[in-house]
Formats: sequence, C-alpha cells, structure tokens
Amino acid sequence: MDKKRFEQLLLTVQKPGRYSGGEINSVIKDKNEVDIRFAFCFPDNYEVGMSHLGMKILYSQFNDREDIWCERVFAPWPDFESVMRQNGIPLFALESKDPIKDFDFIGFTLQYELSYSNVLNMLELAGVPLLAKDRTDFAPLIVAGGPCTCNAEPLADFVDIFFLGEGEQSDLEVMDLYKKYKHNGGTKADFLKEASKIDGVYVPSLYDVSYNEDGTVKSVSSKYNAPMPIRKRIETDLDKTYYPEKFVVPYIEIVHDRAVQEIFRGCIRGCRFCQAGFIYRPVREKSVETICRQAKALCDNTGYDEISLSSLSTSDYRDLEKLLNSLLEWTEKDKVSLSLPSLRIDNFSEELLEKINHVRKSGLTFAAEAGTQRLRDVINKNITEEEIIRTCKTAFEGGYTAVKLYFMMGLPTETYDDIKGIADLAQKIVDTFYEMPNRPKGKSVSVNISVSNFVPKPFTPFEFHPQITREEIIDKQQYLKQCIHSKKISFSYHENRTSFLEGVFARGDRRLGAVLLKAHEKGCKFDSWDEFFELEKWMDSFAECGLDPKFYANRERSYEEINPWDHLDFCVSKDFLIRENERAKMAKTTPNCRKQCQNCGANIFGKGVCFEKR
Amino acid sequence: MKSVRLFFTKKGDARFVSHLDMNRMMTRLVRKAGLDIWYTEGFNPHPYMTFALPLPLGFEGLYEIMDIRINDDSFDISKIPDIMNGVCPKSIHFFDAKEPDKKVGAIAFAEYEIIFDDVGEVRNKLSSFLVEKPIIAKKRTKKGDMKEIDLSDKIKDFCITSENGNTKLKIILPAGSNDNINPSILLEAFYNKNSDVYYCYDVTRTAILDGNMKKFK
Repeated sequence: MDKKRFEQLLLTVQKPGRYSGGEINSVIKDKNEVDIRFAFCFPDNYEVGMSHLGMKILYSQFNDREDIWCERVFAPWPDFESVMRQNGIPLFALESKDPIKDFDFIGFTLQYELSYSNVLNMLELAGVPLLAKDRTDFAPLIVAGGPCTCNAEPLADFVDIFFLGEGEQSDLEVMDLYKKYKHNGGTKADFLKEASKIDGVYVPSLYDVSYNEDGTVKSVSSKYNAPMPIRKRIETDLDKTYYPEKFVVPYIEIVHDRAVQEIFRGCIRGCRFCQAGFIYRPVREKSVETICRQAKALCDNTGYDEISLSSLSTSDYRDLEKLLNSLLEWTEKDKVSLSLPSLRIDNFSEELLEKINHVRKSGLTFAAEAGTQRLRDVINKNITEEEIIRTCKTAFEGGYTAVKLYFMMGLPTETYDDIKGIADLAQKIVDTFYEMPNRPKGKSVSVNISVSNFVPKPFTPFEFHPQITREEIIDKQQYLKQCIHSKKISFSYHENRTSFLEGVFARGDRRLGAVLLKAHEKGCKFDSWDEFFELEKWMDSFAECGLDPKFYANRERSYEEINPWDHLDFCVSKDFLIRENERAKMAKTTPNCRKQCQNCGANIFGKGVCFEKR
Repeated sequence: MKSVRLFFTKKGDARFVSHLDMNRMMTRLVRKAGLDIWYTEGFNPHPYMTFALPLPLGFEGLYEIMDIRINDDSFDISKIPDIMNGVCPKSIHFFDAKEPDKKVGAIAFAEYEIIFDDVGEVRNKLSSFLVEKPIIAKKRTKKGDMKEIDLSDKIKDFCITSENGNTKLKIILPAGSNDNINPSILLEAFYNKNSDVYYCYDVTRTAILDGNMKKFK
C-alpha cells in the first residue's frame, strides 16, 4: 500500500498516532543489512503495550545487535482493524510498516490471560496460520514470553517456543541458533529440538499430555530427550543485566507515560495470593550507583519529567534512603519528579513522603488486600490495622486528603465478616481524618476503595483453591456496598465475568486451545476491555468443545493431582507451596525472605536474597 | 529571561499528533534538548510553552509557531533550531528562532494548500463552488452545538491550479482568536454538495498571517 493512501486511511480512525510509528527513539534499520527481523507483539492496544517495561528492555537489547531489527506491533483497535480488513492491510510493524508474516520471529509477551484471544486475532490479521502444526514454513517462528508462560498450556497449540522466566539471554541464544539454521539450512523440527536444549526454552510440541477420565492430567512426557522439567531462566547479576538507555517516547499519551527505572526483581514478602511474588524469585537488587546512572540516562534521552522506581515492593529496597538521596541530587535540579509505586504500608514514613513530593505531588495508593487481620494473616500480607491507620494519618498530616486502598474479594477462607471489615476499615480511616486537630482545613477527605476479584494462580500456595463463583462475587459486592455508610468512601469493583474467564485460563490445560480457537472464530478479542468482552460467546465455545469452565476455575485441587503446569520448574517447590497453604489454613503468617529462609527452592541459582548476609 | 518564538514544520508522521499531544511531546523535546527554559511556578511546574495557532489533527504545517522563555538573557537564540533538530523526530523540523515581533492576538489569517486526488471533475466543481453565495457550512460553536454559517464572505483569497495531475487549492481563511475557520468545514460543505466526487484530500497549512496579510512573526 502506498504511503499516501495509508495516511489517508489513518485519518479515518481514532488516535492515528497508535499506528503512525516514527516516534522519538524508535529504531529504523535497513532490512537488507540485518539477518533477523523480530516483530515484538503486545497483544493489547498501543497505550497499554507501550507502557510495558519488558518490551522496552528487549526492544533496545535486540536492536543494539547489528544483525537484529526488532520492531513493535500492537493489537489494532477494532475501528482500525476493520479498516485493515476492508483494505486488505495485513498486520504490520510500526517501524517499517512491513507485513510481519515476512519476519523471522513473531514474539508475543503474555502479561495476562485475557489477552490470549488477541494473540490469535493478531496472527490471523498477520496472515499466519494459527496452529503451529499448520505452519510448515520455517519462518515466521511464533515465540512468547512473560509471566503467563508459567502456565501457557492453553496456547501450546499455537506457539512454537515459550521463554520461561527472564528472556534477556535465552531470546538471543535462540536467535543465534536460528541464524545458524538460516545460513546452513535445516528443518524447523530439528531447530526446535535443538532450541529445547537451551535453558529457559520450552517447546510445547515436544511434550505429550494425557488425561484421566475425570479430566485431570494423567501424565506429561517429553519426546526426543527434551528436558523435563523445564526450568525458568533468570538474570543473576542485575548490575550486569542489560538496561535500555532510552525508551521510545510516544506521540500520544499512554497509560504509564514516564521513565521507568527497575530497582530490583522478585519480592521478599511471599504474599500467598501473589503470583509475581513467587515466579520472580529470588530477590535480586541493583546497586544505588547502577540505578542512578541508568535513571539519569533515561531522563536525559527521553525528556521525561517523571521517573518511576519500579519493583514489586519498592520500599523493600535495602538502601532506599541512600537511593532517594542520590537521585534527589539531580532530579530536583532537572525538575524530575519521583514516583514510587508499590509502597508498603508498614515502612512508609514522613521522610519518604517528603522525598517523593519534592517536585510534584502524586496520588497515594496502598494495598491492604483484606479487611480483617485474620484474613490478612491467611494471605500472609503481614500488615496490621494499626499500621494502615498510622500510614493514612501520616499522609493526611503531609497534606493529602485522598487515599486509595486496594482490596481483594474471594480470598480463601473469606467470610462476610471479612467483607464487612473492608467497609469498617475505610470508615476508621475517614474517622481518623476528622479526629486530627491539625487536618487540612476546609477540605473533605476521600477514601477510595478498589476491590478486585481474587484469581488463584499457578505457583502460588493458593493454586489448589477453588475460585469463588460469579454468583458469590456479585453477592459479596452487593453486601459490601450495603456496609458502606459514608459519602466520603467511594467503592469501585471489578467485573465478575472477566475474572471468571481469567481464572479458567490461569490454571487451564492444553485442551483449552480448542476453546480459544472457537472463541476467536466467534469474534472474541480485547477480553480485558469490558466493552468488548462477551462471556456468552466464550460459554458457547466451552460447550462446543465439551469442556466445563468451572472444572478449571471453581474446583478444589488435591495435593496429589498433576497440574497442567507441573512440568515447568519456576524454582518454587510444590512441597513449599503445600506447606504455605497449610499455614494459610491456620491463619499463620510466614516471615519474609530476609528474616528467615523458607527453603522454597529459589536458592538453586546461587544468587540474590538467599545469599545476603543476615 | 527572554521570550523566544520558534518556527517549525510538522510533516509526515507528526500530522497524527493532536494539539494536546503536541504540547506534551514538545515539553519532552525541550527537556531532552537541555535548553535552559523557564518553568511555570505553580504547584506543578512545567516548561512555559504556548503554540500560536493549534494545527488540527491530520494537517501538515510548514509555518508552525511555538513560544518559550529562556532563562539566560545572553543566550544566542539563533542556535536553538539546530539544538532542537538534534533531538526531534524527523517529522518535526525547526527552521527559525526570533524574539517575538507581535503578540499572538495579531494573528488574523492562515493560508492553506489543499491537494485533491482527482483532477478535472474536482477542479471545475470546486471553481464554481467557491464563488457561490452563500456557501452554507456547519460549524461547531463553543457550546458544542452545530450552527450554520455563510463562508462566502470569509474566503479572503483562493487560487486553483493543477499539479502532477492533482488539483491544488490555495486558500486564505480567517484564523486566530477572533474568527477561525477550519478548512475542513468548507471541504465538508463542498463534498455535501458534490457527493459524487471522490472524497480524498490533504491539507497543509503554509502560513500564518497578520491583519495586513504579512507573515506573522
């Protein structure tokens, strides 16, 4: 398609800046000068995908190699998708506008289960056969990484290679192997067999799964000596791990429109509901010097005036004070404001508040997760009500009049008292504000409670638990609404239907591939967007495939059952998960990694928090 | 501190950047360029920056104007275009920097160049359309409802030529804070009247003019 016509078509859709490319720091290369063309696909829209740190890291890392050209691809919004289909425009990469079906690799990052239908839709838009077995040509190879690969069995029929864990090294090793095959010749089958020997590489077609009569997994066996189990890959020294010096700066506003500086990976806490807290173990920190150097380079090269210190629990960084002081040395002068997401309630201080308010003031959000102490102990959140109240008081004294609190609904052992506890806690925070003699005068307080639905995930102590049913979710949401009596408290909650589907796919098996295909044929896409989500189509697809979604979401699993993900090794042992689940049942908390090692299995890498001096 | 008026072109990919996004992008570009610019002094300090006349989404611009303030009075402002071009995407190109002559309120007209894909048909129909009286077009008022206005006495000047087999219309319309006519509403009226004409055009704003039809500086 000629450029003029393409531009004219762009002017007929919303936010054409999503598709125009040409942003600051985007990388243009000569396609004839590279050996490998990699289409990095984020299966959601531009604004969501461009906010993702992992993509920025790998985009720069790949493009730093002269022989690779990595380009970005996002799911076109339905208005542009129909323009593409009407005008026969195949899915293209933003930098070159070339169709991605001609690339060597099409790589997806799988951040959430509800993006799976977009993966299929994007492959179809690209003009690539959806099923791996139908793709007889060597290229493009369909690869995928991201947290969902810890159980990407529902996508096993479609993807050639999964990257387990952190992809910085395994991605490049696979590409090097590919280059060898491209130059010397060889079959895709041979290539995949050899690729499966690379650490962190999982080739699903090399494994057979059989099922019991009741639908549970009977066994998983490997073919051609492919490794078993398949272990995740991690970076062991974050000071030596690649980090981009610049980000592509979008033309249009995206969800997280700021510089993001990673400060550590993993989390010491072990909150029992949190998949990220287990699959990214062990904790590995970057040094203050590395962080400062990288953050400065990012701001200088992008012009961003806000930098977010990213990790799973930022206030757990051991040298946080030293880090903030070193950053403030230049951020204040350069008028760069710091934002610290993922602050914990138990180590939030006045000094910290003052430091993050140096340039601009941002909102305050805390995760309380559950409404009563008993339930917070069940999930191992390890914070007390007193700490929550004290933190809010500190915030109010610092001039804040609005706080946001995150909770979850549907946690194991939850009762209606626990639900009422959410409303009670919010009320206590409101009361705390009005009891303060020195509260900001003439201002009202606002407590925003945001309640999501708990979805049990693989590799967590709660992987054995049934998800509560949609009916229970609706019931509990209504009950909580009734428990709130103050206009100062606003309550937002999450759609029950999407949570249900997320729950199905999170712990799904390979048989769900057929369901995905059916739902895709019925037009399912953008499932994480309420305006596009159509549960009826999904339910019809399950029925047509003879599968019951409740079997995956709402069933208690025994410790003996083979889970669809048990052949993947994320270095947290099942024994450990069972021990943790038993403690949860007794509402017993577990000390964090820095206080006492629980022997979870993550020390196998010989690095990180497991070997810190205590 | 001194005010600096910067002149730039906005072409190609950048035509898909809305005015609001343009603001955000330019803030980052001046920061990335390391210019010692003056920041506003409110609760949320940001670089002071105003655009003389917002350019509608989808238009290219050859004479775009942005005002900033530089802290250092002795700074050689003629260096700014090169400094900015060093950090800009290739769709944005700075070509001049001056101390402002006139206030932004002096803007009275803008000149547009509109290329139509189809010759002959378009050319004749356009020639007769533009001399009609009245030319009724729909304009959105500040309150948000649609109002019918007559454009026939708003067209300051126009000229139709052929170029590379395409029809080219040069037209001068009122612009600025008092009276502003977006050529899209004129074209909309044209296509409504001539629904058989292939709907496809490209607009470039070629100049911003003052009341004396001189380039606004």
